[in-house]
Amino acid sequence: MRSHADSQTTSLALTAVLVAVAVCLGYAEAVLLPTMPVAGVRIGLANIAVVMALAFLGSGRALLVSVVRVVLVAAITGTLGGPAFVFALSGAVAAWLAMCAVARAGHLFSVIGWSVAGSAAHVSAQLLVASFFVGSAVPLLMLPASLGLALATGLVTGHLSRLLLSRIPSPSLSAA
Amino acid sequence: MTRGDTVLVCLVAAMALFALPLSGALAGAPAQDVAVLQGPAGVTRVPLDQDASYVVEGSSGEVVFKVRDGALRCVTSTCPDHVCVRSGLLRPGAPIVCAPNGVTATLEARAEGDLDAISR
Repeated sequence: MRSHADSQTTSLALTAVLVAVAVCLGYAEAVLLPTMPVAGVRIGLANIAVVMALAFLGSGRALLVSVVRVVLVAAITGTLGGPAFVFALSGAVAAWLAMCAVARAGHLFSVIGWSVAGSAAHVSAQLLVASFFVGSAVPLLMLPASLGLALATGLVTGHLSRLLLSRIPSPSLSAA
Repeated sequence: MTRGDTVLVCLVAAMALFALPLSGALAGAPAQDVAVLQGPAGVTRVPLDQDASYVVEGSSGEVVFKVRDGALRCVTSTCPDHVCVRSGLLRPGAPIVCAPNGVTATLEARAEGDLDAISR
């Protein structure tokens, strides 16, 4: 039986690993894969790490992983504090909210459902914030195409997450 | 995939489809011959029948649009992701948005009593 402190250390280490993975995936995607020509939709590989955090560590740590990832990737790509950073942050928080809501429903949804909900919330929030920023509803015109793409990318990252979850043994944090 | 997942996927697909006519209504029936460039400084109407370049002062730099062969596209921009440049030609229902610069390009909505609207 491990102590409370032990499991806290494990949880902290795992959080740090997931942040690192999320930053690597986010940065690789930003540099290697061009954003799709519709509303800056990305595949969202970094969200896989957030899904892992949500599955293993709970909602608080998932938000931490997501937000720290957005800040670090923005710092690396030089967009920190700019509008693009605000869009990314709003998308990340919206995706986290949607994924937590879906995850709370228990076994009704799998990680595929989490991912789809997350990516749909991500693009919707981004377009909404972009509309405020631009000062007109023009960005919202892209909502149908963005949601369609988000559905596809959500399914891709969801399947990848499920594949990973089935291979990685769940770290037992409370007792072992 | 669980049954919940399937329902969720259908829901998002339905939302995308329902948003389609909604965004069409928002844009109005577009005229094909005039584009509207909107930036933080104001609105510019651009005739699409003459080849020309237009520079819009964005909130963090310049966004350059070019009209060629009756179509408008974004050529360069100071934003990080260049989504606007990659958007290609301006088409009905597909605006060009450079969100970091606060610049948009749309086709002008046709006025209600327009001759073209009646003769259509």
